[in-house]
Amino acid sequence: MIRFEHVGLRYGIGPEVLSDINFSLEPGSFHFLTGPSGAGKTSLMSLMYLGRRPTRGLVTMFDQNINGASRETLGTLRQRIGVVFQDFRLLPHLSVFDNVALPMRIQSKPEKQINSDVHDLLEWVGLGSNMQQLPNTLSGGQQQRIAIARAVITRPRLLLADEPTGNLDDEIGFRLMSLFEQLNRMGTTIVIATHNVQMMSKFNHIKLVLDKGQLRMEEPVKAASRKKTGEGAA
Amino acid sequence: MNLLKRERALGVAHGKRVYDLPLNRGSGSGFLVLLIGLMTFLAMMALAASFALSAMTARWSSGLEDRLTVEIPATDAGGQTIKHDDVKSMTDRIATALQQHPAVANVHVLDDQEITNLVKPWLGDDLPMANLPVPGLISVQLRQSDPSTLKQLSDRITSVDARGRLDTHEEWLRDIIRFTGALQFAAAILTIVIGVTTAAAVAGAVRARMAVNRDEIEILHLMGAADSYISRQFQRHSLVLALQGAFAGMMAGMLVLATIGWICGRMEVDLVPDFALRIWQMLVLACLPVAAAGISMVTARHTVDTALKQLP
Repeated sequence: MIRFEHVGLRYGIGPEVLSDINFSLEPGSFHFLTGPSGAGKTSLMSLMYLGRRPTRGLVTMFDQNINGASRETLGTLRQRIGVVFQDFRLLPHLSVFDNVALPMRIQSKPEKQINSDVHDLLEWVGLGSNMQQLPNTLSGGQQQRIAIARAVITRPRLLLADEPTGNLDDEIGFRLMSLFEQLNRMGTTIVIATHNVQMMSKFNHIKLVLDKGQLRMEEPVKAASRKKTGEGAA
Repeated sequence: MNLLKRERALGVAHGKRVYDLPLNRGSGSGFLVLLIGLMTFLAMMALAASFALSAMTARWSSGLEDRLTVEIPATDAGGQTIKHDDVKSMTDRIATALQQHPAVANVHVLDDQEITNLVKPWLGDDLPMANLPVPGLISVQLRQSDPSTLKQLSDRITSVDARGRLDTHEEWLRDIIRFTGALQFAAAILTIVIGVTTAAAVAGAVRARMAVNRDEIEILHLMGAADSYISRQFQRHSLVLALQGAFAGMMAGMLVLATIGWICGRMEVDLVPDFALRIWQMLVLACLPVAAAGISMVTARHTVDTALKQLP
């Protein structure tokens, strides 16, 4: 699904914000991306949602080499990726309905299907009565749910979320995490950047820990202990 | 109706697709409409001027084609005034000689009153014709006009009287046609400059709009929107604005041209041609809004496509 080999990223002539990143994500996997503020999580996410090309190293996504891919190819690949941005990045002049419908319209889905899918999803995230409102008239938590709905509406193969539950109360947060797990069970690969330790411990998935531009992978606690036990038994 | 209302609220002109970008927000749109309106108006004036000059040249050319004038001077080689009756008799003899040539269709000797009318605009009404050395003038209409015929006629005139002078109008007509040709060329250049200026203005407005909506454009790009998906919205928006401005400019232009036509129609000066446009000329002027819309569409699309190539 995703493969990073010796990837580095720098902005302009500044220092590398990501250095020698190596990892691969299997299709259908679920990962948390964590690390202290300024560690480069957002930069790494931007490479994964194809918002940038790496300054060095090799990035492979959906079996395509990103470094040499044409702009048209990148556009097609982006349609398989859903992104929840930390600052939501909703279009303020569009209604809640039209914001969520946007990825489907970009993919030229029929209006009938758009109508039905968007209604269903907005009902599910609890915004069924706010469909025609503008995002700026809603609370931060509601806007976050719109951003999440927009990211998942096309059932992407890869879902990237930057602090997706940051502004949500626990109940809604866990409900949305359940949605992510449900999508993951349907085959969507998921990477969630978060600081929320409680959530990471409740939903036990592999952690990608980013620190000072370097990445290391941490197995889930139970799986790691099981692995250790198994190794010990052998 | 609700759909239309919703689309208008979103900044959509008319139709099914909505703009995902807030293109109708801000004051730039009104400025572009005004600019395109003015450009269309100016282009219309330039083209209409070109058509008028063309009509004027054609009228002068056709009026003087196959037509020549013979002048019998009122003074001899030494500058002495010839008696009026002698001039008249020489004029009649030359007219008779010309009448007999097969290429001549009609010969008309201008009488004193006609000559007075000709010089009246320059010398005034109270002209003492009896005291002035007035030349003899013969207007000749030819069946055919070619160099050999003109040579024969010239020979025939000098055989009757060596002082008779043939004026084919060619020299000054050539100059005036060259002058009107230069004016028409200038009008064509002006029309092209107006077109280029319109394109530059649209490109500038589109670039400014892209800068204002950079975040929204980036979001669409990150969702996988093709460049054409984004540029189509700018293209359509520019088309709507261009049509609004161009039709307003055309209406203003038509009003001005109609006024000029009305004024020309009331003038009693033969030099000024009728300002009546032909059907094809009216069609060309009516196509100006379409041309403005086309220039705006193509420019908007090209500008956006070029700018989007900067994104990864």
